[in-house]
Amino acid sequence: MPSWEEFRPFIVTGLALGGVYSLSGVGLVVLYRATGVLNLAFGAVGAMGALIAWELINNANWPDGLAYLVCVVFGGVVTLLYGLLFGPPLAGRDPLVKATATLGLALILLGAMSWIWSDKARSMILPTSNENFMVSDVLVNYTQVIGFAFGVVVTVVTAAFLRYTNLGTAMRALANDREITATLGVPVRRVEAAAWLGSGLLAGVAGLLLSNLVGLDANTLTFLVISSLAAALIARLQSLTVTLAAGIVVGLVNALITPILSISEYRDMTPFILAIIALLWLSRHREVRIGRAAG
Amino acid sequence: MRIMLGRARSQFFVAIVLAVCFSLFIAACGDDDDGGGGGDGGAAQVKETVKASDCGPEPGQKASGEPIKLGALATKQPGTDFSEIPRMADAYFKCVNDNGGINGRPVEYVIEYEQTDPGQAASQAKKLVETEKVLGIVGNTSIIECDVNHKYYEAQEYFVIGSGIAPTCYSTPNFAAVNMGPRYSSDGATQALIRQDVKKIVLDQSNVPGTDYIEEGPRLITEDAGKEFEGLKENVPIQDANSAALKAVQAAGDGGGVVLNFTPPEALKILQAAQQQGLQDRVKWGCSTPCNTDFLAEALGDAWDGKLFVNAELNLITADAPDSNLYREVQKQYAPDIPLGSFSQMGFIEARIATEALQGVQGDYTKESVNEAFKNVKNFETDILCNPWYYGEAPLHIPNNVDRTVTPKGGTMVQEEDCFPISDVDPAIKEVRDIEKQDPSLVGGG
Amino acid sequence: MVIVALLAFVLAALPSMLSTYWITVFTAVAIYAVVALGLNLLMGRVGLVSLGQIAVLALGAWVAAKLLFDTSLPFPVVILLSGLITMVLGTIVGLPALRLTGLYLALITLMMAGAITVVLAATDFPNGGPGFLAHSESSLGSGATIRRPAVAETDPAYFRYVVVTAALMFLVALWHVRSKAGRAWEAIRQSEPAALAAGVNITLYKLWAFALASFMTGVAGALLAGNVGQLFNYQFPTRDNIILLAVVLMGGIYSIWGALVAGLLFRYLPALLDTWGLPADLLTILFGVGVLQVLLTAPAGIVEQFPKDMARLGRLVARGAGRVVGGVRRA
Repeated sequence: MPSWEEFRPFIVTGLALGGVYSLSGVGLVVLYRATGVLNLAFGAVGAMGALIAWELINNANWPDGLAYLVCVVFGGVVTLLYGLLFGPPLAGRDPLVKATATLGLALILLGAMSWIWSDKARSMILPTSNENFMVSDVLVNYTQVIGFAFGVVVTVVTAAFLRYTNLGTAMRALANDREITATLGVPVRRVEAAAWLGSGLLAGVAGLLLSNLVGLDANTLTFLVISSLAAALIARLQSLTVTLAAGIVVGLVNALITPILSISEYRDMTPFILAIIALLWLSRHREVRIGRAAG
Repeated sequence: MRIMLGRARSQFFVAIVLAVCFSLFIAACGDDDDGGGGGDGGAAQVKETVKASDCGPEPGQKASGEPIKLGALATKQPGTDFSEIPRMADAYFKCVNDNGGINGRPVEYVIEYEQTDPGQAASQAKKLVETEKVLGIVGNTSIIECDVNHKYYEAQEYFVIGSGIAPTCYSTPNFAAVNMGPRYSSDGATQALIRQDVKKIVLDQSNVPGTDYIEEGPRLITEDAGKEFEGLKENVPIQDANSAALKAVQAAGDGGGVVLNFTPPEALKILQAAQQQGLQDRVKWGCSTPCNTDFLAEALGDAWDGKLFVNAELNLITADAPDSNLYREVQKQYAPDIPLGSFSQMGFIEARIATEALQGVQGDYTKESVNEAFKNVKNFETDILCNPWYYGEAPLHIPNNVDRTVTPKGGTMVQEEDCFPISDVDPAIKEVRDIEKQDPSLVGGG
Repeated sequence: MVIVALLAFVLAALPSMLSTYWITVFTAVAIYAVVALGLNLLMGRVGLVSLGQIAVLALGAWVAAKLLFDTSLPFPVVILLSGLITMVLGTIVGLPALRLTGLYLALITLMMAGAITVVLAATDFPNGGPGFLAHSESSLGSGATIRRPAVAETDPAYFRYVVVTAALMFLVALWHVRSKAGRAWEAIRQSEPAALAAGVNITLYKLWAFALASFMTGVAGALLAGNVGQLFNYQFPTRDNIILLAVVLMGGIYSIWGALVAGLLFRYLPALLDTWGLPADLLTILFGVGVLQVLLTAPAGIVEQFPKDMARLGRLVARGAGRVVGGVRRA
């Protein structure tokens, strides 16, 4: 068994990893709360945005800031387009169908990315990654802090937004029952569009941050969604706060297993095992149903 | 907007999606995606005394007549793309065809790709041999192909020249690689770090089949030098590079050394994580040959200048020497979209070896005569490799067993140590050196 | 009856008409058609989505490889055993998950697939080595490869063997669909509360569906093990779970023959594209578009849509021809 000294720095890396999982998890739950769609293409959208930004910076010599903006806007536009085209026709269907449709989008983006950008070592370092400070003799850089903080901010702001603003309430109603909401005179299409756009911009920002925190690699970023799903599932796709907390716990456990060499090989199972345990525990008394996205 | 019904709407969607994809594709093409990334700057300073037409025996004379068919099989899928190697070989063959061909005849080169599915890899090999009826196989580069197909090649009596990745590529009689492969390249990186006076060596590699085998060489070499050794594995793609880097550094301890054996994107993740945690000075860092790419040097930035000891199985792409100059010329004229780097170097050298071997064939070009010619290659001198290359008849082939060490500096890789032999404490290397001693003509002695 | 004729043709005539390359391609098609069949039954008959069938396939292949190396049981027995053991594993895994529905069930299967993938990366596949894991790490493994059935050593013979086994699986599926289980599944798919009210034991029949799908996938795993003689982790990437879902949807989930189309899409189409020199990435994009298309407009998939499309095309042609003929007559 490793000593406390050896464990300590992994708490820091665990929190950083937790920030990654929380960020993606929150992004997933936010859209689900607002539109009833679990966007499994969240990672792919962010990855493509990041790759486009990389392309602009390295091969077209655009200024960094402008390229980052393009990444975020790309995320917003692609997700909005998807939402406008495929949202309404699928609106009345089971959440499973809607989620499966986003898998279609993920496949399209994955294929496009691998076609356009071959597998090379790419790097796009935000300026904040080079500034750091010491926490119990582990260096923490500002991008990790931003990633973490961003997850927290999005959680708090979105929760407040959904509860206290008119638009937010309209979104919750929409996710709950589209037909009734429409008959109540809510401009359904516009509200939906706002939700998709917001979620897309979030995916773009997440893509930028994750390309720093995890790596600028289409495959990794797209399938990171699966590990992040764990945090969202533990929160039953409902509570943003629980998603945030779950993401941190998953990250911490994952990192803390690293120095325990006998099981270190299996540490990547952490998100999956925790999600399975949580889901089975939560469903022990009653059947768990994903139907309406409760407010 | 009037709601479109079912069919029309879906077609509209499909059209939109395809339009988006297509426009992105065009945009990317226009931006010259990762072409000319690293090497052009260096090439401009080199005296261009070599012309591309030097690739063939009769400059300017187009080959005609019945083509000599050769084939290749490479892995090409999202996350792993070795297609540059056979494509560069193809470029060389095109050059040869434009300049006299092989005894006047052109080369026809068939490239097949597989996506790491063994059934597919086996099928493609059968397609090359039985459907396309290729006379020889040059340029194979695949994660699984050596494992899946080596018995087939032995049965069909093909002697393959390629780039090896799996351990099987270095332990069968019918495959000879121009590169070193993960184990012997990690050996070289280990040796480089031992020369840096480290107290302990940690080998960290991607958790793909073959790790124990790859670990054996560096372990023996490290223990023979009286140092401690530890082997670690990471599942790829790596999601938590911070912990991975930390784990490796902790295992090595202060004054230790870490040798990485990963593909460039994964190695980059670990190196960047190490740098961001300020770990690049706590231990010495080494890397097997996949790290030897200017892409990586550029991505790492100057924080790593002179701090990463990369085993280089091939010479620098900027070297000023006949074959290297020819390589850059052929690339410029026949394959400008393939970046300069070790992949295209390998494709170039494999095609060159095959061409030279084929030029020497007397009589008909058949499967037998072509493969006999490949098998009889000996003392093939080239400045791209440290030692002359050879094939020969032997139970295993590791003809590239003398290497350099390079290190990143100012966005490119520069030479740190000149050619040194890989230690024969590794039993496979010892076996190969014994073979070379028994027949010194293989490497130009005797 | 068309099916029987087709089967006869495939078994008798096809191997001699095709090169070895295409025979091996169609062997893979048949194997993955069985995998698709499992998912097809789950999705089409019972309305359950599993995103972990490829991981189950890996399990089945592991079991088969272990049995083939460590015992000298005849191949058919190994196939049966792999199917049964995988069925048991699948049922154990499915049991607690049955309290979940719809999206949750799909996601938990994805989580399980992820977990299995990590374990397999650590244990690797049997290659004739020692111990329970039967894995040897020396450069050539143990030098042994997974054996094929004694009667089917060559590629064309193995192709026929695989096709016969696949046909048997399809028969099993057909029988199930027409049986009491099939009716119960239909009731569950239409409306669980109503089925419950009608006295259908929902848990039992859902479990049965999982068991059947796992059994079939286990059988396919055994066939896969014998295909190339070696197994690699690379054969079972996470991405394939999603692509399998895509092709099963595109093939059509309301008819079991959709599974055959799915198998063709999964293994024949890539070979075709490769022959035409097109990149494999195009296929990923195509499958993504296919998923969207199916979910939006043709939930019945190609199997039902294609005949409808052909019929429509036929009507269009007939109308056009009629007009031409009429015009000619008038002239």
